[in-house]
Amino acid sequence: MAGKAEEKNNCEVVYDRSLGGMVRDETQGFIPLKVFYTPEDIRDVEYNRDLSDPGCFPFTRGIYPQMYRDRLWIKSFIVSYSTPEETNEAFKEYLASGQTGLRLLADLPIQTGLDPDHPSSWNAMLCGGISSYALETYERMLDGLPLENVDYELAHMGMSSFLSFYSYLVAMMENRGLDISTLRGASINDPFRSKIVYGCPDFPTEIDRRICLDLIEFSVRNTPKWKAYAPNGVDPEQSGMTAVQEAAHVLAVATAVYTDMINERKISLDEIGPTVFSMDAESDFFETLCMFRATRRMWAKIAKEKLGAKTARAQSLRIGIRTSGLSLQTQKPLNNAARVSLQILSCVLGGVNSLDASAIDEAIGLPSKEARLFNLDTQHIITHEANVPLVADPLGGSYYVEWLTNKIEEEANQILRTIEENGGMWACLESGWLRQQIDSSRTRVQTEINEGKRLIVGVNAFQGEEGPINKAIENCAYRVPSKKLRLKTIADIRRLRAARDPNRVDATIVELYNATKEGRNIVRATIEAAKAGVTVGETVGVIRMAYGYGYDPLNQIGAPVFIKNLLGGN
Amino acid sequence: MAVGQKTIRVVIGKVGCDIHERGALILARAFRDAGMEVIYLGRYQTAEAVAKTAVDEDASVIALSDHTGSMRYIAKETVDALKKFGGSDIPVIAGGLIPKKDLPYLEKLGVTGNYGPGTPLETVVNHIREVTEIDWPKGEVPG
Repeated sequence: MAGKAEEKNNCEVVYDRSLGGMVRDETQGFIPLKVFYTPEDIRDVEYNRDLSDPGCFPFTRGIYPQMYRDRLWIKSFIVSYSTPEETNEAFKEYLASGQTGLRLLADLPIQTGLDPDHPSSWNAMLCGGISSYALETYERMLDGLPLENVDYELAHMGMSSFLSFYSYLVAMMENRGLDISTLRGASINDPFRSKIVYGCPDFPTEIDRRICLDLIEFSVRNTPKWKAYAPNGVDPEQSGMTAVQEAAHVLAVATAVYTDMINERKISLDEIGPTVFSMDAESDFFETLCMFRATRRMWAKIAKEKLGAKTARAQSLRIGIRTSGLSLQTQKPLNNAARVSLQILSCVLGGVNSLDASAIDEAIGLPSKEARLFNLDTQHIITHEANVPLVADPLGGSYYVEWLTNKIEEEANQILRTIEENGGMWACLESGWLRQQIDSSRTRVQTEINEGKRLIVGVNAFQGEEGPINKAIENCAYRVPSKKLRLKTIADIRRLRAARDPNRVDATIVELYNATKEGRNIVRATIEAAKAGVTVGETVGVIRMAYGYGYDPLNQIGAPVFIKNLLGGN
Repeated sequence: MAVGQKTIRVVIGKVGCDIHERGALILARAFRDAGMEVIYLGRYQTAEAVAKTAVDEDASVIALSDHTGSMRYIAKETVDALKKFGGSDIPVIAGGLIPKKDLPYLEKLGVTGNYGPGTPLETVVNHIREVTEIDWPKGEVPG
């Protein structure tokens, strides 16, 4: 195996001249590469048409004229520990260390749309985040933190989460007497990701699609600084897609949803403003940064030519990053520091607008605080010591970078044409075509790993021994919550249900049910239900019932008696 | 007939709300490539459903996958459910993100393998061949 010098008897080491040699001639996403590139490879590039200055159509070189001189990327990461109090304390510490965006998450049962006392919640309860089953958990989690002019980001998986937690943020502002139009941030709110990546059972696709549109519509009218929709390529790529597939996927998803938005809700892209994509930063350095450049250029053209965007704002694409968790390894975790640092650098060279970097201990458990602070410091070092962001798109004009950017655009366009031929994105989701794309790429990657054509340091090459530094990292990762804490969460939600004003709960549940059934926008009804203490599981159940589905997404429990009595049915 | 003489039938189980599926899918393919039959129920399963399927389908082994750090709970529930449905002879193996401190507990429960990310696929495949050839002992572990 590459990277391992063969040992003979008596410690005689056979010297292997090819040790550490290159084993690939393709990018991570299977694009074959030449040894070098020349002006001939980019002779069709016209500066004004294909690149242009930063801030100018087609925004290949970045969306702002001054780029990072005016505004650095938002430094955010998911912060969600087991309890609201712990999470609150961490938020305060990270903000003091230069974090500028608060990325919210919840435990897995909540993200699935299940309350903590659902029978399937126990195993994953409080894993990956807090159990934010009702508004009061948000009040505890965000206690003492500003709601205005801070960037909040919702990164959950189920569409029920985007509906519930946007509603919690708005409800908190209204309860505190704040102007909700000052709410800032972004929400993934991507019905394709919920299904192809997570198979999230909270709602069928028809409800997912409606919630997505309702949230965009409500937000455009009431919270214009909030980006209610940030189509996601991160998780499809982590599930198996290549960089080219990710770019095509996220462009197709955005086009599908905005086409419905324009046709059904009569809201133009110019009213919505800049679009945000959540994208993945994988380990292939140049492929990653060229993917960002190509995607910005492709979106500008689609927005202008296909979706009728007239303003530069509406043609420009903001890219928010989550660096690859998949690239991180449990073996020799110190190496993850190198991986993440290179991924952050490729994001900055690629002109992204917000960055959520993975933590070096993330393959072992939930990230520890020190690992998070290391992420922030890496970005501070790139900014203030390495001076990387001083000049916009510093690799623009490189023969290789321009060729690869063009290549990604060309191949992504080919995929977009195939999607059209297959009836568009909604049809590709329903038929399983999208899922097949992910599966076949993942298998190809795994085969290469098995055959030694793709080396992962510390895993299938250069294994070596772990010393005290690596061992210390392994011991620092956050531990899973105790049985006691899980039992307390169940007691908490039961106490909340008993303490609510039943008349207010009943009235808001009936209104949510009616709004859903009558095809009205359900966001306002969800906000009012949240204020009355209605839980995530109840919100999901009521919406499902209005569509004629059973209360429980997993079909393990019936509707609570009071809801049955209010609405009839099961 | 000894279990090892027929085609090995693996039930892959993901119990609860863990969404990390890549490992389970990659293993499902590796097991098939190794000539085994694979029944993968998908995500969001209960331990009882996994155990019942294994008993009903006459499975040779159950392979549990979890990345939330909760394998100790999932494994215990699965072993208990197997007992309930009369399938205590079906060996259980596990993999995913398993906290090191839980390893002795899992071994005592009779749950073996307990592999982490990056384990070579052939290691897991060979382990399945081993556990399906012998009558794997299960210790009594108090809840």
